[in-house]
Amino acid sequence: MGYVAVEAGEDVIQRAEELFEKQRVDGESDQLSVEQVDDQFSRLTAQAMSEGGLYAPRLAAIAVKQAQGDTAEAAFLLRAYRSTLERWGSSRPVETAELFTTRRVSPAYKDVPGGQVLGATKDYTQRLLDFELTDDDGTDPTEEWDAEPEDPPQLRNVMEVLRDQGLVHNPETGSDEDQPGTPFDATREPITYPAPRAAVLQELARGETGAVTALGYSELRGYGQVHPTLGEVRTGDLPVRIEHPYTGDEVEVTRASVTETECVVPIYEKADDPQFSFGYGLVFGRNERKAIGMSILDAAIQLDGDAPAQDAEFVLDIVDGIDSFGFIEHLKLPHYVTFQSILDRIRSIRERTAAASSGDDAPVQEVSADD
Amino acid sequence: MTVLDVANLTKIYGDACGECVDNTGPSVGDNQCPVCGSVVACADVDFQLHDGEVLGIVGESGSGKSSLAEMLALDLDATAGDARYHAYDGNMLSADYQARHELQNQHVGMVHQHVQDGLELSFSGGGNVAEKLLAAGWRHYGDIRDRVESLFRETEVPVSRMDDATETYSGGMQRRIQIAKAIANDPGLVVLDEPTTGLDVSVQARVLDMFRGLQREQDVATIVVSHDLDVIRLLADRTLVMRHGRVIETGLTDRIMEDPHHEYTQTLINSVI
Amino acid sequence: MTDGRSVVPDAESVDDLLDGVADDGLAGYNYAYLDEHTKREVRRATLKAIALPGHQVPFASREMPLARGWGTGGIQTSLSLLGPEDAFKVIDQGSDESVNAANIRRLASRTADVETTTDATDASVIQTRHRIPEEVLDDDQILVLQVPITDPLRRVDGSDDANRRRHAHKNYSKMWVALYENVVEYGEIKLSSRYPVLVDDRYLMDPSPIPRWDVPKLDDADNLCLFAAGREARIYAVPPHTEVEPLAFKDRQFQVERFPDQACANCGSEDTFLTEVETDDGDRRYACNDTSFCEKRRANPDLSKAHHRDGNDHAWGPATDPSVPDGPTENSEGGERE
Repeated sequence: MGYVAVEAGEDVIQRAEELFEKQRVDGESDQLSVEQVDDQFSRLTAQAMSEGGLYAPRLAAIAVKQAQGDTAEAAFLLRAYRSTLERWGSSRPVETAELFTTRRVSPAYKDVPGGQVLGATKDYTQRLLDFELTDDDGTDPTEEWDAEPEDPPQLRNVMEVLRDQGLVHNPETGSDEDQPGTPFDATREPITYPAPRAAVLQELARGETGAVTALGYSELRGYGQVHPTLGEVRTGDLPVRIEHPYTGDEVEVTRASVTETECVVPIYEKADDPQFSFGYGLVFGRNERKAIGMSILDAAIQLDGDAPAQDAEFVLDIVDGIDSFGFIEHLKLPHYVTFQSILDRIRSIRERTAAASSGDDAPVQEVSADD
Repeated sequence: MTVLDVANLTKIYGDACGECVDNTGPSVGDNQCPVCGSVVACADVDFQLHDGEVLGIVGESGSGKSSLAEMLALDLDATAGDARYHAYDGNMLSADYQARHELQNQHVGMVHQHVQDGLELSFSGGGNVAEKLLAAGWRHYGDIRDRVESLFRETEVPVSRMDDATETYSGGMQRRIQIAKAIANDPGLVVLDEPTTGLDVSVQARVLDMFRGLQREQDVATIVVSHDLDVIRLLADRTLVMRHGRVIETGLTDRIMEDPHHEYTQTLINSVI
Repeated sequence: MTDGRSVVPDAESVDDLLDGVADDGLAGYNYAYLDEHTKREVRRATLKAIALPGHQVPFASREMPLARGWGTGGIQTSLSLLGPEDAFKVIDQGSDESVNAANIRRLASRTADVETTTDATDASVIQTRHRIPEEVLDDDQILVLQVPITDPLRRVDGSDDANRRRHAHKNYSKMWVALYENVVEYGEIKLSSRYPVLVDDRYLMDPSPIPRWDVPKLDDADNLCLFAAGREARIYAVPPHTEVEPLAFKDRQFQVERFPDQACANCGSEDTFLTEVETDDGDRRYACNDTSFCEKRRANPDLSKAHHRDGNDHAWGPATDPSVPDGPTENSEGGERE
């Protein structure tokens, strides 16, 4: 009987886990070090940190290794760990104009103060599979450059140009009811609707990359009206500062790598005083796709229209990767009790229908299979 | 007996500046306040409705009659005003949600102009009518079926269609279902908002005849709101004429039709003939 | 393990921190895994839930080392209640041996130092997915039910915002219409598990996907029932001796699952919830779903479901006692009384 395997004691669980671990060491190659994951798979660790809602590159590298490259699982490991940590305090708010910018492109303007900074990107090259990587000797392609590396500049936000002209709508952010000025924190307080914008942004920033991309795309694809112009997309490092416990001064403790984007939507907030709606995206690490998707969703949710991605409740209910991953996969758990209950209903209804149509084959009706 | 006594009923859309009512109305020729831009849908409406009486409210679109209907059906909050309903203690316009819900379920039946406001299109027609009974605490399936069936007969909807999805019904049938739903719990007051809009002329007549028959039989006090003078002529005992959010003339329907006093009413009636 | 040692000693860097916990395993975590702040919050939500029977109380559900949808609400609730004196039982689909039950039990015993048991009469806290034990629970026992979908109204409307309003106003007519249309279409109510119940004549509640068989056990029970959903971040409760009534029509009564002429292939019981198994040789066998009670019945076929209560045969689901043949078969011939 098939269920025997699922109904077993701790030994079997232990062995299943060991078999899983074995997959990692099964091959002929050397073991991947956590440093290698950190250095060479920064996109994976960035995704795990952003979806896990915890900025910790080294922990993320361990999580990616442990999850054998499954980002949803890695993000889940980070969140589960994070939830056990004591919270010491909060960092000070930071202006993103302070970003030490390694890349910044502004689609809205041909040129912007500080210039277009392409930085490191594959955006404009052909996506050809590089067979030379099979024999990677670690050569640095920039080795021969005769330019001196510059320190990343701090650039004025492009949207500030528009804001200074009063062209951009300024929405309420929504702070914690009990502590005005403190942003809503969905990890400490359950979200109810209508949700403050701070909660929306937090949940989007922690959203699953594929889900954020897909829902954002739905707006562009025609299931909505948000087709934004990006003010800019930028990546770089933001200083993280805390208040010194003794002196009370602000002290920079570290920097966090982020991707930020702001977009404008030519839908006017007020008829008498036309202003752009706008959307904001900020995610940990390098993940431009998710940041842009987030900015579209932020704009869409502010519109509060009828399109799927404009319904805050719908978007926030499904965008979290830890939630969707868990509930989708829970279907693998045994369900024979509920299934027995469903069997009872369909048999009862079939008997009744058969009796009513005197022996004719009853049509198979849909029976609600819930849980 | 007075079923409903309404005084000073006012609805303003927008942030009123305090002078909106003085700055609008027929004397000004507009219902938008020039100071703050608020729209005065209706202001200072007074009337009484008696047992078994049908009160018509007529006016062109934008005259404020639909807002009036929705407020009386407790679907829309009033800005100001007082409405005394005989079976409710106090001003029903300021009833809390619970009391309002009860009033809507048991006492005030509404037939909406837009079907999606009045019916759940994914439910069956019978389900829509049953909802009213279920909300009022009916718990015997057989009794509910019997009552729904008799309401279908009274409103002349084929009983064979009872279990079909409401979205498959014709416009006329959907209107009848709304009427069946409105009278399901023997209400003291029925509000009809543009009962014939969107229906073919032949269907209009049949729906109105059916309702007039029902209304007389059950002697239920009714408010019918329409831009269509024929509807008012056929159903209403007494009529209020509205323009720019104000009642400009009131009287017995026959008198208003034959001897309109207000200039606007005269134009309204002449333009139809 | 119970010293509540913090995971963050005097670390200078993340690396230090990692070195510090590298060999600790779960020993590096707080007692009963959750930090004390979280436990307090879960307890507060639980108390509020008990004060408002059937009302869904939001709480800031924490990520657990179990996937969401796999009992994270239940385990947070259990861990907030457990102390070293407790005996903890975990069942999944009626079985103590299911892998997920074993995993949850292991987490509790490793972090909360509690004794675990498979005997429903010995446990002080029972966490369960989709079943209520066959043996009558006592007033000193707490049943924690894992809940996947917290709101019964989601069957008729996906929006929790709209549904919260309906609950606030006790406006359940849409649910009733759904039942009415069920009867129109099928001649009876087709809901299988997750059968909607009205608690204390006030809140409509989803009893979690327990079979209908277990629903009557909620009514006027001696024990406290807690319902917890981690993914949906809600806790609700049925306190002892609360009226719980499944929605049904006077002439289309609530029916439990029928097992006509079937007895458990292992212990011979005819008064327990059975599940069917298709065997390799093409037969269909029925067996008790509650495996620990089935084992007791195998040793003693006449054992009453209230054997541990000195003959107090408090009504408990269908047919509390095999000697009382009333109950589960009452409605089983089609179940409909006009």
